Amino acid sequence: MKRFNHFDATSIEDAVSLLQKHKDASYVIAGGSDLVGCLKDKIWMAYPEAIINLKTIPGLKEIRTDEDGLHLGALVTLTEIAESDIVKKEWAGLAEAARRTASALLRNIGTIAGNICQENRCWYYRYPNKIGGSIDCVRKGGKRCLAVPGDHRFHSIFGQVKKCIAVNPSDTAPALIALNAVVKTTTRDVAIDAFFSAEMGSQSTVLDRDEIVTEILVPHPAPGSASAFRKLAYRKAIDFAMVNCAAAITVEGGNVISARICLNGVHNNPRRCQESEALLIGQPLTDALAKQAGELAVAEAKPLLQNIYKVQMAKTIVADTLMDCAE
Amino acid sequence: MIPAEQQTKLIKLTVNGETRALSVETHWTLSKVLRNECGHTGTKEACGEGACGSCTVLIDGVAVPACMVLAVEQEGKEIETIEGLSKGGTLHPIQEAWLEEYGAQCGFCSPGMIMSTKALLSKNPDPTVDEIKEAIGGNLCICNNYEHIINAVRSAAKKMAKEQGRG
Ligand SMILES: Cc1cc2nc3c(=O)[nH]c(=O)nc-3n(C[C@H](O)[C@H](O)[C@H](O)COP(=O)(O)OP(=O)(O)OC[C@H]3O[C@@H](n4cnc5c(N)ncnc54)[C@H](O)[C@@H]3O)c2cc1C
Ligand code: SF4
Ligand code: FES
Ligand code: FES
Repeated sequence: MKRFNHFDATSIEDAVSLLQKHKDASYVIAGGSDLVGCLKDKIWMAYPEAIINLKTIPGLKEIRTDEDGLHLGALVTLTEIAESDIVKKEWAGLAEAARRTASALLRNIGTIAGNICQENRCWYYRYPNKIGGSIDCVRKGGKRCLAVPGDHRFHSIFGQVKKCIAVNPSDTAPALIALNAVVKTTTRDVAIDAFFSAEMGSQSTVLDRDEIVTEILVPHPAPGSASAFRKLAYRKAIDFAMVNCAAAITVEGGNVISARICLNGVHNNPRRCQESEALLIGQPLTDALAKQAGELAVAEAKPLLQNIYKVQMAKTIVADTLMDCAE
Repeated sequence: MIPAEQQTKLIKLTVNGETRALSVETHWTLSKVLRNECGHTGTKEACGEGACGSCTVLIDGVAVPACMVLAVEQEGKEIETIEGLSKGGTLHPIQEAWLEEYGAQCGFCSPGMIMSTKALLSKNPDPTVDEIKEAIGGNLCICNNYEHIINAVRSAAKKMAKEQGRG
């Protein structure tokens, strides 16, 4: 790591004004479990001049519920979400996603806002500034993508965004999408469906460089709802997902009346499975129907040479996650 | 370019009960400061990227990878390292359990494993094997000594329960 200016923000306004003062050359730090890795490896073509600590801002660590739903302060850790009885009871898919993220140690520092704002994990993008130097690939504004001709076993199976095939790595993102959350920032409320955007360059979200997530609101599920999350990774204890999936369904009179299903690790942005969702409506959730929904979820897959295996995984995980909701 | 005063900060923190004032550079990690500035080399650093747990310490009782947290952000925190466990030459029950159950082969993972165990047992004094596996999931042992490590955690839980009159 190289030196940088470090500021302990005293308020949200203070943090925003520091971001504006160090325009395009600063980052906020929450738990740091993603950012410190980027700094250590000097992965960006320009090293930031300022790091702004959010942990010194009071009031961002609260988990509370009201009639609107579950309010998660930006600095709530993944451990706190995974262990919260309120979350486990009403938003089981989110609690499970938090529990399956990284390792116990990283969940103790990793925050919910940091989890949805983390940068992608493409190994060319993350290549450290060591032998050969950091890689100026398309995602960083350069000319080439090294993953398409190179090793793309963990990359997108649904095509590219602006020539990049790096997947969104977040485990909580699909759960928040299935549960139809709203991301509250310093300037606006963003529906979670519109929050992720690999189109923006190196970052994963639509956030402006001087915009900060302050809270995530997850609405109360309707009566008769259930949610679930599943993850497939090499090493269960810590690895990023090869494929993960979250689903939330509502059943009335034995039939599904609403469904939201989201895959991640399969495309640049988390991917809603809208065809699969539409299939379920008006029908009882059975094994056979869940399998059909899995097939539909990958109908448009365009895998590359080395990641065809992920199509089978995505298909199966959608069906299995749906059946978890049925239990 | 960067004004020097923001690159170095004076912080005060407690390490194993001892309050220290340290001048740290902004980009120094807690593991680096514990090892180089405090002389606590019991905290190991292997991967340096949050993936192995060998640098595990407790910050205000919570187990974290010290290689991923910035020292400048630890103002006022209570840090506990492996060096803080034994008291007056007497081993902590977790350390005793490690000896008796052969929890260490090469021993490189042991300080981190033991700190993760300490955090687990203070939150959950009687964990199941699955709970133990989840709690030490971020601590790697390249000697593949997991069987013995899990036995050591279970034995430590029993020892501590006995000590506190719960056993
Ligand atoms: C070994 C290892 C394994 C991991 N495994 C997983 C995994 O399995 N699944 C997974 O999802 N993640 C994983 N992670 C990534 C990471 O630990 C988590 O995503 C964590 O939740 C990030 O949160 P943080 O608070 O530490 O983020 P930080 O590192 O502090 O921040 C991450 C990014 O988000 C920005 N940011 C943070 N807070 C805000 C805010 N409030 N508003 C705007 N921007 C913000 C920062 O500027 C930075 O760019 C892993 C990381 C490591 C090192
Ligand atoms: S997949 Fe994206 S991040 Fe990876 S090398 Fe290609 S352009 Fe860069
Ligand atoms: S050295 Fe810190 S987690 Fe590996
Ligand atoms: S005992 Fe050697 S790494 Fe665990």
